[in-house]
Amino acid sequence: MIQRLLPFLTLVVLFVALSIASPHFLTATNLSSVVRQTAVFNIMALGMTLVIISSGVDLSVGSILAMGGLMGTMAMSKGQPILLGVAVGLATGAFFGFLNGLLITQLKISPFIVTLGTMGIVRGLALVVSNGLPVHEIPKDFSYLGEGTVVGVPFVLLLLVVCALLVHFILENTKLGRYTFAIGSNTDAAVYAGIPVKFHTNAIYAICGLLTGLAGMIEASRLMTGQPTAGQGYELQAIAAVVIGGGSLRGGEGSVVGTLIGGFIMGLLANGCDLLGINPYVQQVIIGAVIILAVSVDELRKRRTV
Amino acid sequence: MLLELTGVEKRFGGVIALRNGALSVDAGEVHLVMGENGAGKSTMMKIIAGLQRRDGGVMKWRGEVVDFANPVEAARMGIAMVHQESLLAPHLSVAENIFLGRELRGRFGLVDRAAMTQRARQLIAEHHFPLQAEWQVERLSPAGKQLVEICRAIQHGTSLLIFDEPTSSLSESETKEVFKIVRTLRDRGTGVIYITHRMDELRSMGDRVTILRDGETVHTEAMSTLSTAQMIRYMVGREVSALYTREPVTPGAEMLRVHNFSAPPAVKDVSLTVRAGEIVGLAGLIGAGRTELCKAIFGLDRNARGSLWVNERPVQFKTPNAAVKAGVALIPEDRQKTGLARELPIAWNVTMAGLDAISPYGMIRHAAEKTITAQSIERLRIRCDSGAQKAGRLSGGNQQKVVISKWVSRGAKIFLFDEPTRGIDIGAKREVFEVMDELARQGAAILMVSSELPELLQVADRILVMRHGRIAGELPGRTTQEEIMRLAALDTTEQ
Repeated sequence: MIQRLLPFLTLVVLFVALSIASPHFLTATNLSSVVRQTAVFNIMALGMTLVIISSGVDLSVGSILAMGGLMGTMAMSKGQPILLGVAVGLATGAFFGFLNGLLITQLKISPFIVTLGTMGIVRGLALVVSNGLPVHEIPKDFSYLGEGTVVGVPFVLLLLVVCALLVHFILENTKLGRYTFAIGSNTDAAVYAGIPVKFHTNAIYAICGLLTGLAGMIEASRLMTGQPTAGQGYELQAIAAVVIGGGSLRGGEGSVVGTLIGGFIMGLLANGCDLLGINPYVQQVIIGAVIILAVSVDELRKRRTV
Repeated sequence: MLLELTGVEKRFGGVIALRNGALSVDAGEVHLVMGENGAGKSTMMKIIAGLQRRDGGVMKWRGEVVDFANPVEAARMGIAMVHQESLLAPHLSVAENIFLGRELRGRFGLVDRAAMTQRARQLIAEHHFPLQAEWQVERLSPAGKQLVEICRAIQHGTSLLIFDEPTSSLSESETKEVFKIVRTLRDRGTGVIYITHRMDELRSMGDRVTILRDGETVHTEAMSTLSTAQMIRYMVGREVSALYTREPVTPGAEMLRVHNFSAPPAVKDVSLTVRAGEIVGLAGLIGAGRTELCKAIFGLDRNARGSLWVNERPVQFKTPNAAVKAGVALIPEDRQKTGLARELPIAWNVTMAGLDAISPYGMIRHAAEKTITAQSIERLRIRCDSGAQKAGRLSGGNQQKVVISKWVSRGAKIFLFDEPTRGIDIGAKREVFEVMDELARQGAAILMVSSELPELLQVADRILVMRHGRIAGELPGRTTQEEIMRLAALDTTEQ
């Protein structure tokens, strides 16, 4: 039981340690900036949680994030209202996520390979569509999505909470969520039980894409540009958050709470390193080591209980 | 005495797998080890073969106390094990697998492939195995893989060989070949420990038998003086009739009709019907196409052709989903691979096929799920702590009951049971038969594939025999094993 709480305890310890180590940590400005920085990864990681529980992986989310942000901002720059622009961004994400699902289920190729391919394809398309140039002509009010507050609370935090509750609800209380676990735990057994595995796999990747599209719009709002090069390497951050939170790449395991803890651990590590003036090159070493450490501790726990 | 275990203990966390394991094996003896699943047989064998370390007790090898840290140490002493599930490297050849970890070296310390292949060929020829040294292990049947494991053990000159249910996936002729090897090894002075669930194998094989129950050795005796009834009593700890006999039911309406049904290349032009209340046995040799027929009926074979009727209505199943919706259930042959989600709770496995009924608008009603799980646990007598327990932690028999309950709780009406008793103990077998009987009495139609002829004779109302993908004939339920075998293997005697 204690080991199951380990990721959470790590987060608490990290929080307390940073509060003591740096006077700048426990300030409203810093904490809200941590929340804003991590919201983008965390929302992506929520979608990734579904995918990883189904024993898949989605390497293309960084590219989909850029494409979603780009299409959304392009719509706005062409004079469309902000809400419609956001909708375009979300729809773009869902479309490419669904495409991943289709390629995986119809061609029967492993998710790793399919999304490795679409990672390049979607990134390339984003560059082609935009001629490699960022989109700048965006309505000022759009910045509210990434930078606004509701009674002092960052708007993105509210968005993250809503998304987290939704994904948690899907996993715990819906057929889709249950089938996600079933497919991830034993795909053959799921097929033999008459579960429409292809349909649900498509749905899982589409949801992941949709959330990535939202993350893309938030990123675009924070930068106030639609960048075809945005989100590079984000896929690994999202996967890391899920895995630190107890998700298993073998499938059948993972939770929203775990993923959020994983995401915030990553966020605090990065923020703490910045505050303590640790060389950014060394930061990468630390974060990499934490990923390996977290997963090996989790493996030990599982081995002991078997 | 070759090997002697006294008071051997093994604990996994709080669970005691073995508390008083005793066993003695002489050179030149075939020693049977029997017991229900979970009795501690496998744990005991793993300790002997160095795969696990004991927590207490004494193990002596040729009179000296030993403690193997790993299988290599055991192998150095001359102890080898043929595993139930294959532990081979699938992408390597038969010869490479036989010498895996102990490759023959040639000049400059390089692997001498030619010498290994040659030795492997010799070995295969000596025992008339249907193998070739160059074949890739991945492409072999489970039986073929088992034979490679046996070759491997023989090659490395062992003085004690452990067989863990070697024939559970072998055909009749391959089984005979294994028996022959075991006898040859015994005559050469090798000690053999042999684990099996198949009663018919025991008499012809064993010199002595040791019976385990609940992690303890309860009895050791010479095979010739022990009756089957006594043996079962020791195993189960209570009086159990070895023979299950089913009261036949008057069959009702036709529920499943298969007509001119083919699934190339394994199933050719099969026609059969199963009526409500009937248990129809499907016999045949390994590779006769029985499993493939079940899978094709269940919508798992895209190339299947021919016609199907369910409840006298023509149907076409392109996916298992369609079959399930029509009330068809498949209890697959390979429980671990296709039957059970081991890492998920029992409850989730139980409701996996019937989630639609308790999920209005796609949202699961947890209370209903709990009720269904509790009912299933009670009805099928699944022995577990709670429905939240991981399904993979149960014994084989209870795992099988979970797989069956998935369909019972869904209310399936046509059951395809593919080797329903494979790898489960006598007590659980009986319970599985009782469930099948109950289902049939309530109006279900059951098609049961089994390679264990005594079981088919006990359970089935009539028996269809398959040979080379076709139905070779139909026999009444009260037929004999000889009759079934005659049909199953007819063409070899014809020539």
